Amino acid sequence: MDAIRLTNVVKKYGPVVAVENLSLSVRAGTMFGFLGPNGSGKSTTIGCMTGLLDPSSGQIEILGQRFDADSAAIKRRIGVMPETLGLFEPLYAHEFLAFVARMFGLDETTTRRRVTELLDALELKDTSKTLSEYSTGMRKRVAFAAAVIHSPEVLFLDEPFESIDPAGVSLMKQWLRRFTDQGRTVFITSHVLETVERICTEVAIITQPGKLVWQGDINVLQHNGQHFDSLEALFLHLTGERSADLNWL
Amino acid sequence: MWAKTRSRNGRIALFMVGYLLVVLLIALLAAGGLAAGIVAIRAGQGERIVQTVLFALFLQAVFASNIMGFGLNAIFSDTELRRYPVGALDRRLARHLIGIVDPFWFFFLALEFGLAVGISVMGAGSFWRGTSAVLLLFVCNYLFANVVALFVERLMQRKGGAAIMLALILVLSLGPSLIAPVLKKNPAIIPAVVARLQYTPPFGAAAAIIRYDVTAVYGFITIAVWIAGLTLLLILLEKRAPQRQAAASVKMSWESVFDSAGAFFGPRIGPFVGHWLRFYLRNNRTRLMVLISLPLLSFITVRTSERLGPHGLFVAALGTFPMATFMFTSRIAVNQFGYVGGAFRRYLLLPIEPVDIVRSASYASLVLGALMLPVVLLAWIAFAPGPFDARMLIMLACSGITGLLVFNALGIWITLFNPRRGKYNSSFGNDLSLGGNIVVIGGLISAFFVPAALYRAWPEAVSPDFWWMILPLPLLAAALYIGSLQAAGPVFTARREQLLAVVEGKA
Repeated sequence: MDAIRLTNVVKKYGPVVAVENLSLSVRAGTMFGFLGPNGSGKSTTIGCMTGLLDPSSGQIEILGQRFDADSAAIKRRIGVMPETLGLFEPLYAHEFLAFVARMFGLDETTTRRRVTELLDALELKDTSKTLSEYSTGMRKRVAFAAAVIHSPEVLFLDEPFESIDPAGVSLMKQWLRRFTDQGRTVFITSHVLETVERICTEVAIITQPGKLVWQGDINVLQHNGQHFDSLEALFLHLTGERSADLNWL
Repeated sequence: MWAKTRSRNGRIALFMVGYLLVVLLIALLAAGGLAAGIVAIRAGQGERIVQTVLFALFLQAVFASNIMGFGLNAIFSDTELRRYPVGALDRRLARHLIGIVDPFWFFFLALEFGLAVGISVMGAGSFWRGTSAVLLLFVCNYLFANVVALFVERLMQRKGGAAIMLALILVLSLGPSLIAPVLKKNPAIIPAVVARLQYTPPFGAAAAIIRYDVTAVYGFITIAVWIAGLTLLLILLEKRAPQRQAAASVKMSWESVFDSAGAFFGPRIGPFVGHWLRFYLRNNRTRLMVLISLPLLSFITVRTSERLGPHGLFVAALGTFPMATFMFTSRIAVNQFGYVGGAFRRYLLLPIEPVDIVRSASYASLVLGALMLPVVLLAWIAFAPGPFDARMLIMLACSGITGLLVFNALGIWITLFNPRRGKYNSSFGNDLSLGGNIVVIGGLISAFFVPAALYRAWPEAVSPDFWWMILPLPLLAAALYIGSLQAAGPVFTARREQLLAVVEGKA
């Protein structure tokens, strides 16, 4: 069964095309890497898949449901860590996580237990600081905790590992693996190709404007009969290697 | 500044500011200050009138900038400027030179300049001396307002600062009412008070404008000393790092009054209302306005009543009661999503209907405003002179409820159609959109003038004898509010991408 299915999705901002006729399917239980250069439309695509943005045309199905049918019902089943993190600055971490948990309908006992466990595991126990006073890495961990607190079936993570220390990344990877082992789906965008190569089972690469140029198994990195040694080599081949000689630098 | 004007909206705003500035300058020079200057000389009390006008303008500029937030918008913070290779002095100069060219300050400069021109036209003073004095006063006024703003901000960040602030506000608002009878009883004190006022910037400027003797030089020296002192004070305050209010360690608490209050709205949106209540009451500006609003409104009520005859206090209160219900929540209520920044995205990811996002924010504002109503009603019962009259109480309650509902209904529409990205933590500066300003300032002005106008044109409408006439107003206001909430859902859904772009600073 497909956890995510995009059919001919187009997203335009006025005359600017951000996503062009994108069709994509992600099987349930997959750790899926969604790659592309800066400005290629990755975040816009995630925005469309999570109900933040309306696609200009095309169809999006998450867990077999379409967003226009009952968006609240789908949102209950997905978790999202947006690129901008979406944190409420004047709140303390436990207040923020408890708010998110309650909004997702978790009962009070479960809310308190999960918030405490997440804060402990992610080393966010410093309750003297509001979120606005946290470092970038700590803020990222809070956003990750908010995305998983209701134990969603599909998890969308936009650049999840940047700014987080190696121990934190290692822990998050463990959780994500367990997550997919249970048949749930993770959809990740990242520029850290080594990490994607290590944890993802399937990858899609898009180029500007949101055009799918490759999708396949991470273990079979082939394009037009040509085999690539690494994801980076394939990525650069598809998106175009750049060079500029700045003599003054 | 150029960075702020590169967007299409920025250019339109710049053009409008320039245009309005020219029109204001011409209009005010012609009609305001100039006329005041001429009248002052013709009345034969040139110096006294100039002193009074300049002093009133000086204080009004300080109050308007600190209470309404005009003229204190920092385009760039010191932190933002630190990325450029400029020293501390250059950064400070850049910030304040940009700050002083705010149209708000030019409004006052135009009036004061007009006054100086009027004096020189009548041959009672030199044009160049007057212009120099007015320019120095203009700088002094800007510095004074900034020092007050920074002082209040630093005070509010300290433990117990709110209590000190309340005491200061009470002294400031009740002071004139207490001093006036003392001066009436002992008129001999007045010359002594006036003599002390010679050392203030407006009186110094007045002397510099109108006197030809050595007093004019003393006037210039007075303003120069003030400018030097205020500059030092400003630098000192700016250098003092803001104190964090949070304790070294906060016990993780699960029970909060916000969540308990939110729970009244049911499990679906209760946590959201609780979240909004927390968001409102953790805001320094909102807390400051809670402190300011009651003494300020008491002052306005008493002052307005003096011009309205026998039932003046009641008529004035009919206007100030609605103000009390929306004054302190107004900034966020007309721009609900403008202060959440990137977190607005989070609202759209929560499993709730779009209309509930608008509703919960509005309910929080409504709850906080409604809490003020019993406070002001009790204050009326306790302090209003004359026998207790239940009809008056009903009318005041109806007036307050009407203001609360109408304002929050308008707040929903401004939130949806004219939002603006603002800084949650800024204690000063007017960061509302044009629509927000129209609703907030227009609301305050309407509440101020409508009952007084009715009292003159149709006294029955504000008379306790016809108390039942006001009863339909809260019902109509409730209909407007409920209708607005219902209509807001589809509008929010349709406009959410534009709202997202605005609050995340991408529009």
